[in-house]
Amino acid sequence: MGLSFFSKHLPIQEGQPWALKTPADIISTVEFNHTGELLATGDKGGRVVIFQREPESKNAPHSQGEYDVYSTFQSHEPEFDYLKSLEIEEKINKIKWLPQQNAAHSLLSTNDKTIKLWKITERDKRPEGYNLKDEEGKLKDLSTVTSLQVPVLKPMDLMVEVSPRRIFANGHTYHINSISVNSDCETYMSADDLRINLWHLAITDRSFNIVDIKPANMEDLTEVITASEFHPHHCNLFVYSSSKGSLRLCDMRAAALCDKHSKLFEEPEDPSNRSFFSEIISSVSDVKFSHSGRYMLTRDYLTVKVWDLNMEARPIETYQVHDYLRSKLCSLYENDCIFDKFECAWNGSDSVIMTGAYNNFFRMFDRNTKRDVTLEASRESSKPRAVLKPRRVCVGGKRRRDDISVDSLDFTKKILHTAWHPAENIIAIAATNNLYIFQDKVNSDMH
Amino acid sequence: MEFKLEAHRIVSISLGKIYNSRVQRGGIKLHKNLLVSLVLRSARQVYLSDPCPGLYLAGPAGIPAPPPQQQPGEPAAGPPAGWGEPPPPAARASWPETEPQPERPSVSHAPRVGDEVPVTTVTGVGDVLQGGEADATEAAWSRVERPRQAAAREAEGPAGGWGVFPEGSLAARRPCFCPLGGEDPPGTPATTPRTACCCAPRPAEDEPPAPPAVCPRKRGAAGVGGGPAGCPAPGSTPLKKPRRNLEQPPSGGEDDDAEEMETGNVANLISIFGSSFSGLLRKSPGGGREEEEGEESGPEAAEPGQICCDKPVLRDMNPWSTAIVAF
Repeated sequence: MGLSFFSKHLPIQEGQPWALKTPADIISTVEFNHTGELLATGDKGGRVVIFQREPESKNAPHSQGEYDVYSTFQSHEPEFDYLKSLEIEEKINKIKWLPQQNAAHSLLSTNDKTIKLWKITERDKRPEGYNLKDEEGKLKDLSTVTSLQVPVLKPMDLMVEVSPRRIFANGHTYHINSISVNSDCETYMSADDLRINLWHLAITDRSFNIVDIKPANMEDLTEVITASEFHPHHCNLFVYSSSKGSLRLCDMRAAALCDKHSKLFEEPEDPSNRSFFSEIISSVSDVKFSHSGRYMLTRDYLTVKVWDLNMEARPIETYQVHDYLRSKLCSLYENDCIFDKFECAWNGSDSVIMTGAYNNFFRMFDRNTKRDVTLEASRESSKPRAVLKPRRVCVGGKRRRDDISVDSLDFTKKILHTAWHPAENIIAIAATNNLYIFQDKVNSDMH
Repeated sequence: MEFKLEAHRIVSISLGKIYNSRVQRGGIKLHKNLLVSLVLRSARQVYLSDPCPGLYLAGPAGIPAPPPQQQPGEPAAGPPAGWGEPPPPAARASWPETEPQPERPSVSHAPRVGDEVPVTTVTGVGDVLQGGEADATEAAWSRVERPRQAAAREAEGPAGGWGVFPEGSLAARRPCFCPLGGEDPPGTPATTPRTACCCAPRPAEDEPPAPPAVCPRKRGAAGVGGGPAGCPAPGSTPLKKPRRNLEQPPSGGEDDDAEEMETGNVANLISIFGSSFSGLLRKSPGGGREEEEGEESGPEAAEPGQICCDKPVLRDMNPWSTAIVAF
């Protein structure tokens, strides 16, 4: 595939109500389903918007399937915990799709405290010709019914119905940061700062605690769980990352409580890089298994790293996302940017990894060619169907014409959430409250 | 010196973040506050270890080269003055139990003499601690200022309390609502600042028996599950256990439905530093400290020399004033 060019798709948000620039519209999570046909986004206002890829039209072979809005619903509402006098944000932290098992689609969405299972169904037929009800559904006067007819199904405009099938509440004392569906399609896990729970998709009134790193004395707290994920193939394995930069692979067959890891992945700190903020920038913000299940991808503040499950001592690859920020950590600490949690993503063949950065930039790294590219997600810089132009951040020295200097980066424009289609070169980029979908038209097949 | 200034700046910023986290929607974020407290610790370590003439006279002569967490060069640290110990006192102070809400009302009734810290109406856990915290907080803060002294004194006895810095912070952590400073009941001799409020948690063995007089108030203030634990028998440490009774490991804690999200420590820390700054502001620099110093008579009576050095230092240190004003 090469890191060649992605043409720009129309920003979905244009003209839509959710394009309004209110804080509630900030996209907080993006996730393709397993086929890539559906793309779900969650926002700070607790809403979920699902996009569906239109089937390719024979009439216009050039327009490969584009994504249009499929369904919108309010997943979570703000709540107030009266006991603790705390407000519970409705922001959707994560969405995970369940593998499709029938005509309906299902997904899990979670805020800080509660996970919900939503079922999405389509209705495109409607029964007509009732004997006892008229067209509007009102009961008919029986005396007017002179003959009987069999109601028939008539086509109607497609209606997408969404209903909450399960609500998994009260499982977490701390803020939920990740959920992950097991490959067994029966269980899933949810992780908060200190604990990970295992749920059965059909049982809402109890869950099993499988990891608990809460110290007996909170004074001794030194690290928290930042992300977790099930292995894509082995239903007994999962990994969780910590704020200290380590990864722990756990095997649920070993014990009921997986506090002891099977493998600990940790890279010794480089003493020459030590600063006040070393701990913060080593905190892992996201961890993703490769599709093959052989590797893990982690994102910390300045780098993305690829780990081989067979080697715990250090990552096999490290890529600098924006090392030019290393000298600016103090300012980034002041304006809280240093706490931004960037996500990372694999492409379908695990040959390219992607992550977001500031100034609406996102980066891609080709693991084979070792080439990398910086692209920008913004309306100004790209026109529809145009090819994205690689960007460059200059750090002093000679500056090319279109380079951006480090000091003119806009740190309010951050791309935290990105997703890659499971099979094709289609990526979804969330830039604050705008969603961009880019497709690679040159080579749409994975190599 | 640049190290010191930057470290100081970072400390101020960090405290501001912790302070502001109280009013965040959704409650205090454990992860972020943990990271902030780690930065706070690092900065404070650098700040205090950076040699600066006249700043800290007594104190381990060994000025360890910055960064090492453990400061091996620091002599006579005795039980680590909590300084080189990770997580450091401040960080430790960060993770006490959450104050149960029910205590809120009582807090406002336990104002400290001269406490001008307004009880803000900010929501959140921290709010609970505002009022009564002032005392404990100031004491805690003064302790932050005194690491060297503690270390130098080779903390023993109740100073064992000194040595184990966290205790001091513990006092701050556990808002014990009993007034500190001048208001301390005479029955509390030989108390370290933290125990000055007689509610110092841990080393019961070191503390002078808390005056029963204080207990009732604390108990009343507690009014929570910690109820009976509010004021243990004299001689033991009157722990203020928010929801758990004398949390001891045996109690196996809190794995019940009513488990608190334990971030009250952070709120405590906020109150500590917030109020303390204000306290420092309204009193003559070092004056308040002295008062507290007086409280902690007893084995760990602070050496006068060290206190004296604080005063002029405080007056002269503009960065500190800036930080104080900021709060």
